[in-house]
Amino acid sequence: MTAKKKILIIDDEPGFTSMVKLNLETTGRYEVMIENDSQQAVATAAAYQPDLILLDIIMPVEGPDVLCQLRKSEALQDVPVVFLTATVRREEVAHENGHIGGHPFLAKPGTVDELITCIDEELG
Amino acid sequence: MMPVAFYRKKGRLQWRRPVRKRKSMEEEMKASLKVLIVENNPVDRKMLCGMLSKSSYGSFTIEATDNLAEAFDHLTRDEFNVILLDLNLQDSSGLDTLKKMHQKFPHVPIVVNTGAYEDTLGLKAVTRGAQDYLIKGKYKSYGLSKSLYYAVERKKAEEELKEAYESLKTMQAQLIQVEKMKVVGTLASGIAHEVKNPLATILYGVEFLQTKCQNAAADDQINLTIHSIKDAARKANEIIKDLLDFASLSVLKCKPENINTVLEESLSLVRHQCDKSSIMVVKDYAEDLPDVNIDKNRIEQVIVDLLINSILAMPTSGTIIVKTFLTKLADVHAKWAQEQKVRLKAEQLVVVHIEDNGYGIKPDDMSKIFDPFFTTRRAAGGVGLGLSVARTIMNNHGGLINVENKKEGGARAELYFKA
Repeated sequence: MTAKKKILIIDDEPGFTSMVKLNLETTGRYEVMIENDSQQAVATAAAYQPDLILLDIIMPVEGPDVLCQLRKSEALQDVPVVFLTATVRREEVAHENGHIGGHPFLAKPGTVDELITCIDEELG
Repeated sequence: MMPVAFYRKKGRLQWRRPVRKRKSMEEEMKASLKVLIVENNPVDRKMLCGMLSKSSYGSFTIEATDNLAEAFDHLTRDEFNVILLDLNLQDSSGLDTLKKMHQKFPHVPIVVNTGAYEDTLGLKAVTRGAQDYLIKGKYKSYGLSKSLYYAVERKKAEEELKEAYESLKTMQAQLIQVEKMKVVGTLASGIAHEVKNPLATILYGVEFLQTKCQNAAADDQINLTIHSIKDAARKANEIIKDLLDFASLSVLKCKPENINTVLEESLSLVRHQCDKSSIMVVKDYAEDLPDVNIDKNRIEQVIVDLLINSILAMPTSGTIIVKTFLTKLADVHAKWAQEQKVRLKAEQLVVVHIEDNGYGIKPDDMSKIFDPFFTTRRAAGGVGLGLSVARTIMNNHGGLINVENKKEGGARAELYFKA
């Protein structure tokens, strides 16, 4: 049996992150860590060493800034990051084939299937 | 200078000639007026006809009658430049006469011919739509003729002023609308973001419950509850989407496009629905249409929305006719309100017709179809922004949309673009 993939979700909506965790973990294929405090995001990532990060955009420390900091860390610079955000619309994401500015995007709200498909694609 | 010197030499009698000559030139320059004299008193009527036929000020073609009903007949049959109106007739009296005339033929200038000692009545008439007034017995041929020409020119000026005013009013309304859209836009995107987050939580939560309940073979009530929550959240999400669409309508990316191509692309988006409802699409495109300057995505949105309305009006089978053609503004002008006419200032229009032979629109609903959130499909999940959005998009393009029932049944949507 392959090891569970470690997913870190950085989002300041506790309700939402709990639901992502429940849905992903119930598949039995992922282990999910939640970080609701964007200021702690990089430290948590460094400690957890995730296989993939789900990143919100509108937070006290904004998503793109978190990404910059992550990329500065040697251990985290290659971890795939998926933006999961309400700032874009599903049609916009679809129009750009899932990538905006070179980064994979998922629009909120979406379906769990979409989320899992995107995660698996990014994990290869 | 030369003619003056020349005539001065010839003495006084000769000196008058150039004056007379100038007068006749004026006459030539003035177009002949077709006058309808409505005068109760036969003696006055005869006198008026005489004054005008002998007039040195202008030339007139005259018809005369002594009552309002016959005057209406004349005006319906023929076109007149001006009406000389006695207020007290056999079948109507006082300002009421003017009111009836003005209501029925608002574009024909009126000079009111009041009895002596009624000059306050004359003044009142001018405030209620007459262009000038005369007091019987106080004028001669020249004054009468001048007044009729004056009325015609004044009416022209009044109409121009009215049009300019309407145009300003429309522009002001458009400006207000743009400002409103900006506010709505800012508000909508702010709200949308805030609402999408909790919606995402609800939808993911429901999906989790659904997975769990499938495994545990939950009872019908729980399944129904989960299903209802999911539906409701999706519906809320649709509304947010429509709201965002609505808010971003004022931003257009226009470039010249061939409308037939846009129609083809729109039709390809609804082909599946057409097939499902056994709907035949008949295309009647005009070739060599000039390009129209439009935001293709937005216009596609309008066309798809109209096509879907047609499809939904023909659930079992039917025909959609999609037609394009070029027309002159003057040919379609009559049926539009002033406010709409002002908007479409172009000699030529590219027109799109989308017709169906479905249910048509209930007469009671006709005035409401463009209202935001009006829908006849609320139960089936209709939000009611389709036509409202379509109209906003067309207005923002400086175009027009019109929807009406066809005499033979079904409905027709018409889109007009500046060519």
